[in-house]
Amino acid sequence: MKKYLILLVCLLIMIPAFVTANGAQEEKEDGKPVVGLIMKSLANEFFMAMEEGAKAYAEEDGTFELMTMGMNSETDFDSQVNAVDSLITQGVDLIVLAPADSAGMVAPVKRAIDAGVTVINFDVTLDKEALKAAGLPEEFLFVGPDNTDGAEMVGNYLGETLGSGGKVFIIEGNPGADNAKQRKNGFMKAVENHNLELLASNTAHWETEEANTLMTNLLTKHPDVQGVMCANDSMALGVVRALEAAGRSDVQVVGFDNIPAVKDLIMNDKMLATVHMDGAEMAILAFNAGFEILDGKRENLGWVQSPLILADKDFFK
Amino acid sequence: MSEKSRLRSVVNIFLKEVGIGVVLLVLVVAFSLGAPRFFSIINVANIFTQISINTVIAVGMTFVILLGGIDLSVGSVLALCSIIAGKILVNPELSFGMAIVLSVLVSVVSGMLIGLINGFISETWKIHSFIVTLGMLNIARGLALQISQSRTIFNFPKAFNDFGTTTYFGVLPAIFLIALILVILGSIILRNTVFGRMIFAIGNNEESVRLSGHNVKFYKILAYTICGGTVGIATIMYMLRMSIASPILGVGFELNAIAAVVIGGTSMSGGKGSLVGTFLGASIMGVLNNGLLLIGMGDFARQIVTGVIIILAVILDTYRTRFSAMLND
Repeated sequence: MKKYLILLVCLLIMIPAFVTANGAQEEKEDGKPVVGLIMKSLANEFFMAMEEGAKAYAEEDGTFELMTMGMNSETDFDSQVNAVDSLITQGVDLIVLAPADSAGMVAPVKRAIDAGVTVINFDVTLDKEALKAAGLPEEFLFVGPDNTDGAEMVGNYLGETLGSGGKVFIIEGNPGADNAKQRKNGFMKAVENHNLELLASNTAHWETEEANTLMTNLLTKHPDVQGVMCANDSMALGVVRALEAAGRSDVQVVGFDNIPAVKDLIMNDKMLATVHMDGAEMAILAFNAGFEILDGKRENLGWVQSPLILADKDFFK
Repeated sequence: MSEKSRLRSVVNIFLKEVGIGVVLLVLVVAFSLGAPRFFSIINVANIFTQISINTVIAVGMTFVILLGGIDLSVGSVLALCSIIAGKILVNPELSFGMAIVLSVLVSVVSGMLIGLINGFISETWKIHSFIVTLGMLNIARGLALQISQSRTIFNFPKAFNDFGTTTYFGVLPAIFLIALILVILGSIILRNTVFGRMIFAIGNNEESVRLSGHNVKFYKILAYTICGGTVGIATIMYMLRMSIASPILGVGFELNAIAAVVIGGTSMSGGKGSLVGTFLGASIMGVLNNGLLLIGMGDFARQIVTGVIIILAVILDTYRTRFSAMLND
């Protein structure tokens, strides 16, 4: 009696699994391709806006089914692996992935490809060495911005404003993150282009409060600073606040991402400019590259660049 | 009292209350020699600002650690309170004064309520607070993200932002004064009230306090509630300082607060410690962060040195305890 009861409970637990598996199957029978969009942290406004934009696009377009998945945090790499595996099980046609870990996500990508799913890598590049080791091409298609270019663009804008010899800080992102390294390299190019004097370059791990503390302390050390390049806007918010507290309205600040909070700062001359990156547009480029591959019109190789726009006062007018 | 025993008690008090202060003094002297701008009025004011929020959270954390408990949820609760208070603060239907009063009140009450829930669950089902507050860490963060739809709240009233950067006499930042008042108030509660003495007694031997007929559960839940309340106050201080409220702020704040409490000589197993120590602990962390940057140390080296000094300070503390026990024998 007890055994049957346990069996019954097991079956009951499994019902939802059958139902979801069937659901995915039915969608396929419609003839519409199923796309799984796997993002990083939805706690990040950038991905939140991306999700909204991607959903709106899917609804308007109507030629494909979209499933979106976000993680708990930027570094939640385990649940990203699980997300890829469950999308493979559900038999989606296309996985569009923003890797939380450039090297670590290669293995699940390989599993998906072996299972016949097309994978598009966007936002952050997969690691070339890891791709090679997994037997995938090093030039695996990437849809995303050129962070180095974007940082150089906004850095040059700061350089033009300050003129040759201007004294600057760089506030870096997480030392381990590829986009942090690329943005720093871009800033360094701008420093060279305009003969700027780099007084300090330190990390504030993408965080507002840490950037505020860092900026306050750097101001003590180098009161003669004239400009600050921040690897993201969250840190720029902390830097601007530090300058306010110190009563320094003469220091120019540039950022990266264009989060909603910086618009007012730029309009009120508290910040010089940022780099506008449209997450939804990037996801849509990735979808379309994926459909071209599914139709056999494109190889899964190369780089589709998503645009970065300099956002200064004129941009918001 | 003989000459010798008087000397002994002076040494004793010195060791007990100022022991860790020696470490702070050494750091301050070393940085003053190594970095010319370290010992300037403006830099001292900056350090005061930078330690304020951690100090206030650590005050509440001290109450909980003195009981042998822990609160891992403080960083997430800070984020949740900031979202709730931020929404009130930018609500256009409220007058400026009303918005400020309400947001402060709601932030503190929300913090206390979450602390109350932490304490109640932990005490009713006898679950270690490590697990309960770990759960709350996730609940509060999730709620903050849900309510805000992961959007940063900004555009606070100008007078609010201005108060956040106010410094009295060039060296006393407004938010540091709040922290100072809370340290003093907390010290008085711990030393001079029945509740405060109960905290120490429960931390030392919970069973004997229970057997002597005291309501242990009540005092413990009250300690968690106070901890939540200090987080609510720290939230307002954060908003004053940064002029934003965000669901992703405060990550890792619990570790900084715990570090300040432990460096300050409070025992993780409870029953021993002081808020003056906690304040000194938070100061050591702030001075280290500021001073190491000013002498020009790189990011990675700075992190290593900070870790080493935290451990050294606590090792030193064990000698202090042994030495003071020896004196009393």
